Amino acid sequence: MKKKKRIAQKILWVLSILTLVFLWAPMILIIVFSFSNNKYGSSWEGFTLKWYVKLLSNDQVRDALTRSLIIAGVTVVVATFIGTITAYGLYKLNFRGKQFLRTSILLPIVFPSVVTGSALLVFFTRLIHIPLGYPSIIIAHIVFCSPLAVFIILGRMQRFDWAWEEAALDLGATPFRTFLRVTGPQLLPAIMASAMLIFPWSFDDFVITYFVSGVGSTTLPIYVFSQLRFGATPVINTIGTLFVTITMLGMLAVYFSQKMGNKKSST
Amino acid sequence: MSGSDTQNAGQQQAVCLEIRDVVKQFPGVTAVDHISLEIEEGEIFSFLGPSGCGKSTLLRVVAGLENQDQGDVLIAGKVVNDLPPYKRDCSTVFQSHALFPHMTVADNIGFGLVERKIPKAEIKKRVQAKVDLVNMGGMEDRFPHQLSGGQMQRVALARSLVLEPTVLLLDEPLAALDRKLRKEMQVELKRIQREVGTTFLNVTHDQKEALSLSDRIAVMKDGVLLQIGTPNEIYETPRTRFVASFMGASNIFVGSVVDSADGNITFKTEDGLKVTLPIPADGAVDQISGFSVHPELVELQPGGTDALPTGPAADVLLAGVIKEIFYLGDFSEISVQLNDADIKLTVYISRSCGEAEAKMTQGQAVVARFPAESMNILVG
Repeated sequence: MKKKKRIAQKILWVLSILTLVFLWAPMILIIVFSFSNNKYGSSWEGFTLKWYVKLLSNDQVRDALTRSLIIAGVTVVVATFIGTITAYGLYKLNFRGKQFLRTSILLPIVFPSVVTGSALLVFFTRLIHIPLGYPSIIIAHIVFCSPLAVFIILGRMQRFDWAWEEAALDLGATPFRTFLRVTGPQLLPAIMASAMLIFPWSFDDFVITYFVSGVGSTTLPIYVFSQLRFGATPVINTIGTLFVTITMLGMLAVYFSQKMGNKKSST
Repeated sequence: MSGSDTQNAGQQQAVCLEIRDVVKQFPGVTAVDHISLEIEEGEIFSFLGPSGCGKSTLLRVVAGLENQDQGDVLIAGKVVNDLPPYKRDCSTVFQSHALFPHMTVADNIGFGLVERKIPKAEIKKRVQAKVDLVNMGGMEDRFPHQLSGGQMQRVALARSLVLEPTVLLLDEPLAALDRKLRKEMQVELKRIQREVGTTFLNVTHDQKEALSLSDRIAVMKDGVLLQIGTPNEIYETPRTRFVASFMGASNIFVGSVVDSADGNITFKTEDGLKVTLPIPADGAVDQISGFSVHPELVELQPGGTDALPTGPAADVLLAGVIKEIFYLGDFSEISVQLNDADIKLTVYISRSCGEAEAKMTQGQAVVARFPAESMNILVG
């Protein structure tokens, strides 16, 4: 029995380490090679920053980066707003079909991106004639990012003491003032958390964006993909490093904002 | 929103809150069933009843947090049926305190004043006055999570009182506190109420709290108002079986009057026990459905009935055997099985009682004795 247990433990250890290696090694390699002098970006030949200089002087990259940032920025604001009021409505209001609506909001998350992407493309071009480019990309991003905000904020609302709202109303605040002074501030950590998760979602998205971007609106992920056809270049490594850094910063921000939020709301 | 323009001249006690035939239904249950009552200015009024009796719902109807299906609510003589909670001249202290966790004590108390657009300096002054009233000086800058349960309750009280409402509504404000603190806060509540003179409408399921705190009590059950009265009246002369047992009169005899002659009536319980006693002064004999006797009014004497000198004619004597003795510290609860019927009588013997009673043991034959006038007539 004991021996068996020890073997099982060892297998688990090996599996865990393998998982971590496959999870982290590629990213660490990308970051390391982005500073390497090797012109294929695939081995270490001494430290350099020249690929970063090259990246910054590359107009295509700068365009794609700006475009990605604008799209992610707009998506974050709009999707978080939609997510907040949707979650509020789903929690507070009672109406026919509420459960159905609540479940259907999950669809953009569980559907394969290929399906969502191609469906949106057909919808935009054949049915409502939305020009491909910024409008189509932003709408598509809002579609798959809002549900995330809804679920994060709904989760916070489960732990919300609704007597706070009643107390505010009772003390003379109108429903709007109540949201402004009590409900809003209480939901703020969750709203911030969803904003910080939506940003990388939107910034990183490839599949759906690829379908609806049309010609000439290349976002950063699409640019990276297009460059890969010419083989991996060190510039790709620098972009990869950029993605990893931005995403990690976002995650750290979420982590700390939630830690602060927990501290504040725990009584 | 001031109540000053509705002073009822000529009436000594102005009615400050009136509930007229209010009905509130939830799917499958009538939470409030045609309740009407008037609450006078400056009194502490309690809704008392077990959980689910509709007392909290009625309070929320008054606050405007629930809308009644029927009936009117009048605050200071004005019908407020259609006013939302933020326009009603009453304020609620919630059971969970509901202090805003992101605001300091001072900001919590000043919340309603900010909504009334009162100048900052004035808000500061009024908040300080209420902080002092509830003995929270020096804690103005703390956050709710840094306060104890009792302190949170004080802040919640100050937050409502600072608005000088016509009626202060208290929704089981002490239920979340432990026993010792609850007692302390009862005293505090009463002191604060006497100091500010605001009408308090309190909701509680704790009969002791209701008795010690209130000027008047309304006992409710299943959405129905059973009895209104002073703590004295409710405790000593409950009119229905439920009120009697809820107020701790555990000796309840259900039955009917079978005979009346020579100024006496004979009452027969369902278990066949017959008691003869004088016709009650105010009682309509045919309405009597039972009697209740508080356990502390019953005396026990050792021995059988024959061993006793016959007491005053008005005393009721019942022979029985001691079934069980529960020692409770300040008094003992003794359960006596009566000989003539399958009834257990509960008797409280305090420590200051005679030696004979202190020595009583299980299985001993005793006579329970109480004056007939201590039997309270039940009509429902």
